[in-house]
Amino acid sequence: MAKTYDYLFKLLLIGDSGVGKTCILFRFSEDAFNTTFISTIGIDFKIRTIELDNKKIKLQIWDTAGQERFRTITTAYYRGAMGIMLVYDITQEKSFENIKNWIRNIEENASADVEKMLLGNKCELNDKRQVSKERGEQLAIEYGIKFMETSAKASINVEEAFLTLASDIKAKTEKRMEANNPPKGGHQLKLTESRPKDSWLSRCSLL
Amino acid sequence: METTNFADQIANGKNRTNVRCQFCNSFMLKAQEGSYREKEADIPLMQQKKDRTADTLNTEPLKYFWLVEDMMSFENIGFSHSIDGKKFLVCADCERGPVGYHELSTRHCYLALNRVVHKDV
Repeated sequence: MAKTYDYLFKLLLIGDSGVGKTCILFRFSEDAFNTTFISTIGIDFKIRTIELDNKKIKLQIWDTAGQERFRTITTAYYRGAMGIMLVYDITQEKSFENIKNWIRNIEENASADVEKMLLGNKCELNDKRQVSKERGEQLAIEYGIKFMETSAKASINVEEAFLTLASDIKAKTEKRMEANNPPKGGHQLKLTESRPKDSWLSRCSLL
Repeated sequence: METTNFADQIANGKNRTNVRCQFCNSFMLKAQEGSYREKEADIPLMQQKKDRTADTLNTEPLKYFWLVEDMMSFENIGFSHSIDGKKFLVCADCERGPVGYHELSTRHCYLALNRVVHKDV
């Protein structure tokens, strides 16, 4: 069946419990209507479709679903991940300090070229702030990654953050595809079926 | 009662228009991406009674579905955690649902016609 999109990126949200990862991916509804079956069972992942430079990109976004409480985020969870949002809570110093541990965990378990981005969440709670924006920026510079302050609750920068991460992965992927093209001699490529994008698309596990 | 007359929504066995969330209009499935199927399935109600006990679930039998074979065909959709070989489908934006289910064994998704709206914009 013909694919109706150009890219598929698997993204993960990583960080301490309570930093609001779940809110970033899953809208936290305290409204009456959401005291339902779905809020009891919980959401595993979402598929979102975005468009960048006229390319249709499917994002498959996963939350750690509380695994981080047990420090058991395993290689299996990281498998196939192309982008990781590292999330801390600007009102919790500890969650910021732990970003270093999460980066180490990623280095040990995830693919070396996974694209990372740092998010300081809950920026709507400025009066309870423990981590300045400058420290967030500084840490991101240290690791050579991008940084944004977000508020999942007030819908500030969340979509922008995903667009930025997706755009960086896209740029990286296209660069790699160019480097791999043309293929080495003796290797026959069917132009319609075996476009380079299929090789990494098929690596992504869907469930 | 489940609405049963969907003739207007079907064109060549597929969904004629885009499929959207009935609450927030989130764009779930593009026109022509789902195949019409009739099958019996008990799907939990979107509103559960508050006084139900933990192990009972208020469900209703649904019969009319759009079959989506590749989950990546969806524009925007959420998947619940698994129960009994299934994941339930929810709106990716307002998270109301279930609007259908995903069968782990076949990887097929079934979007219930009665739990969504059919319109292009």
